[in-house]
Amino acid sequence: MKSYIVKSLLQIIPVLLLVSLIVFILVRVTGDPVALMLPETATAEDRAVLTEALGLDQPLYKQYITFLGSAIQGDFGTSFRYGESALPLVLERLPASFELAVAAMIFAIVMAIPLGILSAVKRNTFTDLLISGISVIGKAMPNFWMGIMLILLFSVILGALPVSGRGGIEHLLLPAFTLGIGIGAQMTRLVRSSMLEILNQDYIVTAKSKGLRPFIIIMKHAFRNGLIPVVTIVGLQFTSLIGGTLITETVFAWPGLGQLLVTAVNTHDMAIVQAAVFVIALIVIIGNLLTDITYRLLDPRITYR
Amino acid sequence: MKTKSWITSTVLLLLVAIVVAGCGSSKGTSTDSATNSKTLTIGNATDIESFDPHNNNNTSSEAVLVNMFDYLVKNDNEQKKVPVLATSWEQVNDTTWRFKLREGVTFHNGDPFTAADVKYTIDRVAKDSALKQNSYFKSIQQVKVIDDYTVDMITDGPDPLLLNRLSKMGAGILPSKYIKDKGIDAFLKNPVGTGPYKFSKWIKDDRVELVKNDKYFGDAPKWDTVVFRSIPEASTRVSELLAGGIDIASGIPSTDVERIQSEEGKQIVKAPIQRVLQLILRETEGTVTADPKVREAIDLAIDKQGIVDSIAGGAGIVTRTSVTPGNFGADPSLYKQTLYDPAKAKQLLQESGHTGAELNMTVSSQYKEYAEVVAAMLNEAGFKANLEVLEPSAFSERYSSKSFKEIFMIGIGNSLFDASNNYNRYLKTEAAGETDFNNPKVEKLLQDALVNMDPASREKQYQEVQQILAEERPAVYFFQMEGIYGADGRVKFTPRSDEMFYADDITPVNG
Repeated sequence: MKSYIVKSLLQIIPVLLLVSLIVFILVRVTGDPVALMLPETATAEDRAVLTEALGLDQPLYKQYITFLGSAIQGDFGTSFRYGESALPLVLERLPASFELAVAAMIFAIVMAIPLGILSAVKRNTFTDLLISGISVIGKAMPNFWMGIMLILLFSVILGALPVSGRGGIEHLLLPAFTLGIGIGAQMTRLVRSSMLEILNQDYIVTAKSKGLRPFIIIMKHAFRNGLIPVVTIVGLQFTSLIGGTLITETVFAWPGLGQLLVTAVNTHDMAIVQAAVFVIALIVIIGNLLTDITYRLLDPRITYR
Repeated sequence: MKTKSWITSTVLLLLVAIVVAGCGSSKGTSTDSATNSKTLTIGNATDIESFDPHNNNNTSSEAVLVNMFDYLVKNDNEQKKVPVLATSWEQVNDTTWRFKLREGVTFHNGDPFTAADVKYTIDRVAKDSALKQNSYFKSIQQVKVIDDYTVDMITDGPDPLLLNRLSKMGAGILPSKYIKDKGIDAFLKNPVGTGPYKFSKWIKDDRVELVKNDKYFGDAPKWDTVVFRSIPEASTRVSELLAGGIDIASGIPSTDVERIQSEEGKQIVKAPIQRVLQLILRETEGTVTADPKVREAIDLAIDKQGIVDSIAGGAGIVTRTSVTPGNFGADPSLYKQTLYDPAKAKQLLQESGHTGAELNMTVSSQYKEYAEVVAAMLNEAGFKANLEVLEPSAFSERYSSKSFKEIFMIGIGNSLFDASNNYNRYLKTEAAGETDFNNPKVEKLLQDALVNMDPASREKQYQEVQQILAEERPAVYFFQMEGIYGADGRVKFTPRSDEMFYADDITPVNG
């Protein structure tokens, strides 16, 4: 186990290097930041001066080496838009995105576990069909449309919840629901199939024949084992949530990492894009590692080499 | 085993409780800030870039910063210069202007405002080429302090635009002592100016909060708090307005206009802005657009009023010049005018012998719908228009490298409110490689106007240029765009053509 963790941690380095190279090249071939920074009426001379000031006149490989050298020390350059160091700008957005991701995940879990169990226990009944139907719709609905419809219903028509922005728990409900419903739907399906598999196993049949109450059987004997695949998906989805809140954050004007990244791409703020992608990559890698470890703790049959 | 399943169910119950509690407690808090009549909340599409007026180049930043940082001179809504931190000014000679400064003004941190602050501010923006506002100010060679309340500004040549420069964002006066003592980074975290509102907090991509400056030298500020929220998604901004979360929403899509108007207590207000949508045509030898008849045919083939009515939702004023009223050098005879004659366009094209000619038209994705209609109209007239739609940043790069083919479509603004801003692109050196426009008469008029310190004859020069350009058509102008805002009945709001939000121009209806 220990050597597995060490090995995984070492693998992070080449992955991050690759990520940095891809992002570095992508942001440089897709547009000229100088053109975006200067007014429309700027002269060719203005452009040349600014290009030099930003170091963009250097050959690409030199720019990359400079970039990498600073990145190792946590310096991803200065944001053109804010005129501040990029990494702190990215890190200060993490709490907001984290808050949204946690809330979405809580919502997904709260939705998926009871619905999934119910669906499995009442297999092939109307209830099962209804839950499956809801899951399919929940998974298929675009976040963007969902968010706008929720705002229309709960904020504009009912006036019950704030439209956008970050504040108390009431600000969290609509975006968390929007973001969580897709994952919740997917998890419901997973809980259902995993419960079905377990409910057919010998020890459950034995428990049933001993005359235990069905609720006890489901919660105590089946659910614990049915939890393992759910933990995996919680771990994997959570990491992707952090980076994947782009659309939801934009719809709800949520000041998180997703919105920062969207604006940075639009304004061609290279330093921010690089730092944000780097941080997201790191979160995903570490998240996957933690998922693996939890998985192993829950099911001792799984071994790592 | 038993304890573990208990933990699971307890956790689940708790989670449900949190969600339910959240639903219950939501009422009331959501609209607190908006219902308080002493707070003004404005919803913008983008956040400010920073509190550095010198290193900022977007209108929506300036719209916020004008409430914190004063200029020496500012534009009233007709773009007339009115005194702010300067009480009077005079031209000493062709290259020297003298400004008398207001006495008894203090910055938000208590520092007195003097000539030293003016010198520090203007020197910084004029000398540091890494600052985004530098290109507007580099003609200012020296700021000479005469006494504590008098400064001379010396330009590198006659500069008729000096006052225009001093009334825009890069001339926001900064506290020299504070920045010299604490450094620019500390200033940017805790900015102070002399304006009617003081910095309170900035949560990036969420909100800028300003509070009133009780010691403001001018009229007492009308609001206790002014909040600028950034809400990138237009439909969310509209919803915020309808739900009462904000008092004013900028950038309302034309498709949402009716929805807001039909709502009781909400209104739509429009104002022309400093941006004209236009086609720029290449006159390079060998291109079809080098033929004046082809350019005229393009102009006549496009139904500009139709485009305003359909795609812009009526928010636009057709024009044959890009120098609209309120800008120095405007020629009203070309404003609110448009030419449209599809039959003559066809005929001209035939006469030119270019029927079926290919026209490559490039546009940034923000104007995609306009370009599609224009391309269809050009095809109708007998051209074969190829439309190329680019992402804004890709468009910008092609724009600065001057590598468009026959036509590109663009909306051009005018932050200096002067015709030179529109026409310097037709100077021979600037046009080279882009339009390759070259007209000796226009060149002479433009060069003379650049250094002409006599407003009356300078205005004539630009009007003459406009008449020539309207004939020669290096560009085909469509319409002056209009800003569409949604406003709550609680506030009285008249949008400005420069898109600034001076909080004290917006007044509460009750008290």
